[in-house]
This record gives sequence, C-alpha cells and structure tokens, in this order.
Amino acid sequence: MKQTLMGNDAIALGMIHSNIDMVSGYPGTPSSEILTNVQKLKKQMNLDLYAQWATNEKVGFEVAYAGAIAGRRAAATMKQVGLNVASDALMSAAYIGNLGAFVLVVADDPGFHSSQTEQDSRVFAKFAKIPVLDPATPQDGYDFVSLAADISEKFQTPTMLRPVMRVCHARQIVEVKEEFEFKPTKGEFKRDIPRWAAVPRAGRLRQGYEMIDRLEAIKEYNWEELIKPEFEACKGGKFLVLCSGTGYGFAKEALDDLGVEADIVKFKMPYPLPAEKIKEQFNNYEKVLVVEEPMPCIEEQILTEKVHGKLDNTMHIIDELQKVYIQDALKKLGLYDKENIYPVIPFKEEIPARPPNLCPGCPHRDVYYSIMKVFKKKKSIYPSDIGCYTLAINQDAIDTVLCMGASVSMASGFSIADPDKYTVATIGDSTFFHGGIPPLINAVYQKHKFLLVILDNSVVAMTGRQQPPQRQNGEVDIAKIAEGCGAKTFEYQYSNDLNNTIDFFKEMKKEYEKAEGPIVAVVREFCVLDKDVVNDHLPGEFSTVIEEKCIACDHCTTVYKCPPMAYNDDDKIEIDPFLCIGCGSCLNVVCPTEAFTLDEERGK
Amino acid sequence: MKKGVNKMRYQIVIAGFGGQGSVFLVKILALCAGNKNVACLGTENHGMSQRGGAVSCTIKLGDYTNPVIDANQADLLIGLEKNEALRNISYLKQDGTLAVNADESFPKEDLKATTIQIDAFSKAKNKEFPIQGLNVYMLGIVLAKCEDFPFTLEDVKEALVQFNPKVAQQNIEVLEKAIADIKG
Repeated sequence: MKQTLMGNDAIALGMIHSNIDMVSGYPGTPSSEILTNVQKLKKQMNLDLYAQWATNEKVGFEVAYAGAIAGRRAAATMKQVGLNVASDALMSAAYIGNLGAFVLVVADDPGFHSSQTEQDSRVFAKFAKIPVLDPATPQDGYDFVSLAADISEKFQTPTMLRPVMRVCHARQIVEVKEEFEFKPTKGEFKRDIPRWAAVPRAGRLRQGYEMIDRLEAIKEYNWEELIKPEFEACKGGKFLVLCSGTGYGFAKEALDDLGVEADIVKFKMPYPLPAEKIKEQFNNYEKVLVVEEPMPCIEEQILTEKVHGKLDNTMHIIDELQKVYIQDALKKLGLYDKENIYPVIPFKEEIPARPPNLCPGCPHRDVYYSIMKVFKKKKSIYPSDIGCYTLAINQDAIDTVLCMGASVSMASGFSIADPDKYTVATIGDSTFFHGGIPPLINAVYQKHKFLLVILDNSVVAMTGRQQPPQRQNGEVDIAKIAEGCGAKTFEYQYSNDLNNTIDFFKEMKKEYEKAEGPIVAVVREFCVLDKDVVNDHLPGEFSTVIEEKCIACDHCTTVYKCPPMAYNDDDKIEIDPFLCIGCGSCLNVVCPTEAFTLDEERGK
Repeated sequence: MKKGVNKMRYQIVIAGFGGQGSVFLVKILALCAGNKNVACLGTENHGMSQRGGAVSCTIKLGDYTNPVIDANQADLLIGLEKNEALRNISYLKQDGTLAVNADESFPKEDLKATTIQIDAFSKAKNKEFPIQGLNVYMLGIVLAKCEDFPFTLEDVKEALVQFNPKVAQQNIEVLEKAIADIKG
C-alpha cells in the first residue's frame, strides 16, 4: 500500500509495523514528530503500547531500555544533542545489551538548521560500539526500523537508527505493509545479576570482551546480508562511490546530472564495517570517493591510499551536503572537467533577512521587555536557555545560550565571576524539568545570588507543543520544586498590562538586593499557538496607530519587536492586520508617545 | 510534460514565510503525483516556520533520490512573497518559471526567468479572497500560466478533495478566482 509520508511519520509507522510497543523520548527538532506520530497511531488504531514523553533524553532512554531488558520491543527517540544527555546510559547499555529489541532513534541536523552543533550520531554509535543504520529517504526510514529491531534482537545490542533532517522532514510516497496485526510483547524481567548489574572491574571487562565478539559477528552479518549484494550489483567501472544515508541520494543524483560513470555502494549500516572485505574490493577500482554527512564515519573505517573524502579535503567538511560539493570532488579527482552546473546566482541586491521572531502576542516578549526595563543592560548579565524564548535574542535580551539547563548553572558562574552585575537567567518550564533542577540545588547549596525566571507556558512550544509534566499531571508544580530546592520563590500570573509585569520585576529587584542565594520567579504564561488555552487569554484588544503621534523613534521595532509593527510608506508605524492577534499588550508602556490605541472597530 | 507522465522530472521550490501555508501546497502536489503514479520527494524547513521566519519547501516529481533542490535546478519557483522569491531565485533554472505574489515594485526586468506576477496581497486586502487561501491562489496562477506545469486544474481539484473534503470547495473557489484574475 502506498502512502505519502513525512520521514518521521514513516519511522513511527515502521515502529508499529515492527511491533515496537514501548517508546519514550524527549522532543527536539528534527526528531519530535516520531513519538507524536506513534501517539497518534496508538489512538487511531487503538493499540496497546506505551508512547510517552520523558523529562529528558536520558530518562527516556532508560525507561525504554528497561523495557527491552524485560523482553519488550522498545525504542527511544531524540535529536543528536539529546544523545549527549543520554550518552551516559548509552555507553553502559552498549556493554550490557538487551533481550527485546532496543532501537535508539537519533535525528541528526547537518547544516545546523535547528541545532547548536553539527555532530554525527553514527560516530557516537562507533564510539559506543553499537550498530547504526542510516536511512536515505522516508522509505528507508520505514524499512530500517524493522531491520534495526531485528538486528538489535538478534545480537542483543542497542541499535541506532540515524535519520538526518532531510529524511525526518522529507516527504515521499512510501510503500508500507497493508495487512498488519499489532502484536505487543508481554514483558517479563528475568533476574540475571551478573548481566544487568555487572560491576567493575571483572563484570564489565567480561562484557567488554563480549562486545568485541558481538561487533565481529555484526560485521560479518553486515557483509553477508547488506554489503555483498551491493558490490555484486556493481557494473565494474574504474570509479567507486561509497555512501550511506542522504550521501547516497546526493551522490546518485549528482553523478546522473554530471554524466559521470561510477559504481555506487550504499551502506545501510555504516558502522560496524567489515573493513578488510571492503578494502579487497578496492583492487577493482582506480579511485574511491566517500560521500557522507556530516562527519567521516565510513571513511575512517576503510581508509586506504585510493580513498578520498573529507579527510583529504576532497569533500566538504562542515555544513549540509550539496551536489556542488560532489561536483567539486569529481573535479579534484579528474573525473569531471566541464562547466559548473550548479552556479549560485543570487539576486543582484541583498534581500533583507527575515529571522524568526517571538509570535505576536507571546507573553515572553513582555517578560523580556520588563526584565530589561528593570535590570538595565549595562548592569546585568542575561544567561538564557534552549526554547522559543531564545528568540528574545532579537531584542538583545539574551547574553548566553549553551545547552539545556545551562542558564541556571551559568548564572551561578557569572554571579561568582562578575558579582557587581545583576544576573537574571531565563529558562522555560520543560527545559527546567530537563536540566534546570540540579543546578538550582547547586546554587542554593553554594549560595549563588541571581534571579532565575522560569517562563511557564505549560507547553513545549518550540518543538510542536508537546505536553510537559505539569500539563499532563498537575501534581508536578514548578513553584513547589523551586521551593523544595530551597530557593526563595515568587509567582506571577502574566497579565497583558505591561505595567503589572514591570511592577513585578521591580519587586524582584528589591528581593534580589536582600537575597543571599538564588531567587526564583515563576511566571505563569500561555502560548499563543496553544489552541486549547489561547482563547481564554486573548482579550481581542487589537491595536492601531494614531499617525500624528508616531515620531518614528524605532522603539517598538527594535526593543519591543512585535512582528505586526512596521513602517509604512509615510514613515509611520502601521499594524499589519493579518499578523496582529489582539493581545492588547502594546497599548501600555511600549510607545513613548502613546501612539498605539485600541482599534474600536476591529475589537467588535 | 503532460504527455510522458511516467518519465516526469520536474522540480519545484515554494518560498514564503511562516503561516503562508507552503507545506500545504507540498502536500497537495504530493497527492497529485500519487494519483498519477509519479514518485515524489520533497523537504520542508519546519523549525521556525510558525514564528514568521522564512520558509522554503521543495518537491521533486519523478525518479529522484534526494529531496533537496540545488542551485540552478528548479523548473518552477512559487514565491508567496516577493522578497522570499528573490531570496530563492538562485534555485531556479535560467529558463525556469517564477510565479510570484508581488506588487509593481517587483524587479522583473532583472530576472532571466519567465515571470508570472500578481499582487495577491492587495486582492486579499480588498477581501477578494481570504488571506489564508494565498497559497492556493498562487497555485491557481501557476495552473493558468505555467506552460510546463505537470498537473491540470482537475488534478489539483481532485487532490484538494482528497486532502480535506470539508474545505475543498472553498479552496477550489480560490483556485478558480486566481485563474480568472490572471487570465483577465
């Protein structure tokens, strides 16, 4: 049966069709829709399976992994930087192994489209010594889930599926199983203390030797089942291209476009590779080019003098793959000498950037505006974190962005290093649960003085509005957590009257002066994209501009920065009626000459 | 193109900003392809789309292995807004077609591409069609004027009905309005 699916839909359906019945993870672009889709399919098809978000990737990994130890078919989903968080669990799980399948889906983001780093999770799999499959398309994504589950079960090892963004967010007509009966496994934990609780030195050393043997067996499997048929299908030219994942898609098209003859071998499993057997094949070729992204994972395993790729600068070494890089490599190898068929001819003038912004009506905007009004820029440091609110960087309201939860620990560090300034850290609710709690305890423990503002909109907004703990289960309360950590905690219910928000932060400044350790402000907000609640919060106060009052001072377009505000042909600010959502927030404080006024007509 | 359907090879870039419904067009075109038994592969820049940032989508119809469209490769660029069209112009083949929502200030004469231009924003502001239908409106413009476009009005109507029968009629009205507008 054919279905038009996005890569993440295909992976989710692949999980169901592989009888994976325990899925846990943490949202992160480009991986988020996988678990969301498993949840949708569970509902649509009324399936008996566990599919829930965890508080962070490490927790998600461990929940699912325990399922696999108890014999269930399990999967964990995350983005590549999420694997950094889960890596502690992964490194040990690679030694211990599993009974039921354990498929670790890690989505990479070559080109930094929505990530802080461009790391290659295939290399992480190699570091952890677990097999990894690399899909090239949504179809591969669907097919490889079942392959990964089978390999994981056969060899009793965690097995990674590594789609990149161009697989997760690609759309394709995919061939999927038509008839299918979901058969969940009944888990049963079997006590095996030497295995599940192997301790150093003897226990882990023994598992280390087992892991080496397992890898050799997987290499053999990789050769016999996956690689040999690829080489057998080759025509026997002089030029060989080795690739995996999207590297295949780019290479195949570029060679066709350029009319260059080559044998192409696509590794479904780019680690572990049976290096010697592959190198034997090189005898038949003059040159070998490796096309992969973003790091030289295949290349490092099979390197000989004939092999070209990233390590000898034949291929690009950073940023997302483009066909022009393959064309350049072919030129360097003397295999293409005609014109550049991918010339980039931009428009003659520079096009103004259109950066993403906090949404019209987003409460974060008012909070940042108020923080900067009360804790002046020159006298303050603003560490922040990962989420929608990072977009307040457009308002210069953010000084540092590192990784999940770092706003809190870095606030500690800045308060020690530069104590003459106010340190005002901002973090979202889900990021606080993810990685903000241990550093808050540390700050109380060490009496680090700063203000931590927790922006609680009760939704994981940036990644598609997944439900954080307090949304799904009200017993979790951020203010109680902060208090429980020992921090003096205040709560503020966001109001669309900026005066109130500014007054609250003035109070916080007084508290800051008196404080001897961290103080926490929990700001109860909402998300304008959160359809379940947004109508309870928007007053329908649309704003318009009294043109005579507008003095074109730029304050609203540079400091407040709500997207509907822009200059018209008469150099007066005009509110774009398509963009304004009627939050009414700009009616107070924002305009120094009070040019914003209620649009009486539209409000009705 | 309409003849040798199964050998179809056609690459489309759709450029706009968050909220304009570029992804919806990709879904509709994918359905059109499926109905004609043509393979399709496309990609969407999701991350920031709901926050007003620039969005571009690709859809490649035919025997392709990679969803990205490289420079100088697209047969058609649909620009839902003029600056987004210009930002993505280098993806378009020199002899490709640009269908753009733009007012008179658009620098058509500086482009080599065949340009089909209409000021859809001002028509939406005049309430001639709902602004949410801008994406479908521009698809109508393409259907009316892009000579090598591989699908017919009937193909698109069929896909709209398949996608969501409840709102299909509204979309079809926008489509037909666009065709009437551009043909004058």
